[in-house]
Amino acid sequence: MTLLETAAALRRRDVSSVELTNAALQRIERLNPSTNAMQTVMAGAARERAKQADQDLARGEGRGPLHGIPIAVKDLFFTKGVRTTGGSNLFADHVPGYDATVVEWLSTGGAILVGKTGMHELAYGITSSNPHFGAIKNPWDRDRIPGGSSGGSGAAVAAGMVSMAMGSDTGGSVRIPASFCGVVGLKPTYGRVSRFGAMPLGFSLDHMGPLTRSVRDAGAVLNVIAGYDPRDETSSRRPVENYVPGVEPSIRGLRIGMPENFYFESLDPDVDSAVRAAFHAAASLGAEIVPVTVPDIAAINTVARLILLAEASALLEPHLERRDRIGADVLALLDQGRLLPATDYINAQRLRRAMQREFAALWSRVDCLFTPTTPITAPRIGETTVAVSGQNEDVRLAATRLVRAINPLGLPAVSIPCGADRRGLPIGLQIVGPPFAEALILRVSQALLPAEVPVPKL
Amino acid sequence: MSTTSNKDWKKIAKASGLTIPDAVLERMAHTLDALEADFRPLARALPPEVEPALAFRANPEAAE
Repeated sequence: MTLLETAAALRRRDVSSVELTNAALQRIERLNPSTNAMQTVMAGAARERAKQADQDLARGEGRGPLHGIPIAVKDLFFTKGVRTTGGSNLFADHVPGYDATVVEWLSTGGAILVGKTGMHELAYGITSSNPHFGAIKNPWDRDRIPGGSSGGSGAAVAAGMVSMAMGSDTGGSVRIPASFCGVVGLKPTYGRVSRFGAMPLGFSLDHMGPLTRSVRDAGAVLNVIAGYDPRDETSSRRPVENYVPGVEPSIRGLRIGMPENFYFESLDPDVDSAVRAAFHAAASLGAEIVPVTVPDIAAINTVARLILLAEASALLEPHLERRDRIGADVLALLDQGRLLPATDYINAQRLRRAMQREFAALWSRVDCLFTPTTPITAPRIGETTVAVSGQNEDVRLAATRLVRAINPLGLPAVSIPCGADRRGLPIGLQIVGPPFAEALILRVSQALLPAEVPVPKL
Repeated sequence: MSTTSNKDWKKIAKASGLTIPDAVLERMAHTLDALEADFRPLARALPPEVEPALAFRANPEAAE
């Protein structure tokens, strides 16, 4: 049952929040030993809040569509009085004194926080094989990574522990786990969702977004977490809209861009055919498929990597004296960032502005863009290279190749499942829109994926 | 995009006075130089929520 269907059942009193919360906690207890999706389980507090939610509903005091629904958040969102590690030993004992805005708004909306999901250390990587808290496993094949850095959120939603878990996305960290775990992952426009109280990695690249098993659920969550927050300097004052698409929305006449360069180069053949099939599906629903040449994505990726190296290293530099508490892969990135001259960072930000203008021209020709989310399906845990089109490629570079550029551009993007490879592993379709076009990309997503995605047998 | 660098990272790291152990960057050498010594205490005191003034907006044309 989707989050919205569950919410409707709650309002009809067909089910109680306490029952839903207990069911979620039982599923976590059963499946967490084999997936490691949840890092902290908040059973006591969740049961208390669920009881309160039921009492509120009995008095006719519903707080909104998330009222009484069990959810989880990535362990980088500050939670008052609850340990928030960022997946790092550096913050192993960090207990914030306040909630992140996202947590606060979800809580105000009535959601029941049952736990905090595991992640790649410091959100700085895509495997979620955390050296301090253990490797997170992909529910579709527990020998494989869930993607990252929001790997616990992807795995928890895919495994049916919760119907929604929040993630963060600095270079694809919501969309990659969505792709590898076969769920919906939404990265809103930069500024649409407050970053306040979320441990930063790259100040100018970090985005907060939900992972869910249905498109409409992602819209329902965005309805709650979107909006202006004065505590985030980059928060947008643009009015929010209703982001929940209709059950069977029309996409007739929409112009969907089909990239002729970059995005279909060097793909797993199963990914290639699944994403091309999505274009056919959209065309059969009346959309117009428009071949387009996109700006130099490889160059934007380079700029994005440089900005992230500099910003992450600047942020975490005070902690680099405790090198023994940082995993080898993250430490190597932090060291690289420290070797960059300041002029490179400034010029990367100048290049970013130019690329933003160049990319903006695309939106006069198309309403949104379809691309694969990842060129591959989930790699095995411990794999450092993958063969793509006969060439060995670094797993991290392969996984981020098609998603990273969207972060410096600040554009909204969603990954939805669009099939499976020969091994049965999920394939992701990325839909990218112009700034603040979340409602549009969710409408297109819903047209292509009207049903809830399945949960693997576990 | 692939590029080749003619920078000697070991020397750059050395010149920056970074505390990267030799084992990581071919056993890099000594830490802290005078510039770093001046800057480091200031940077270390910055709380993480202090952001650079260089704020990026996804849609700069719109009044927000």
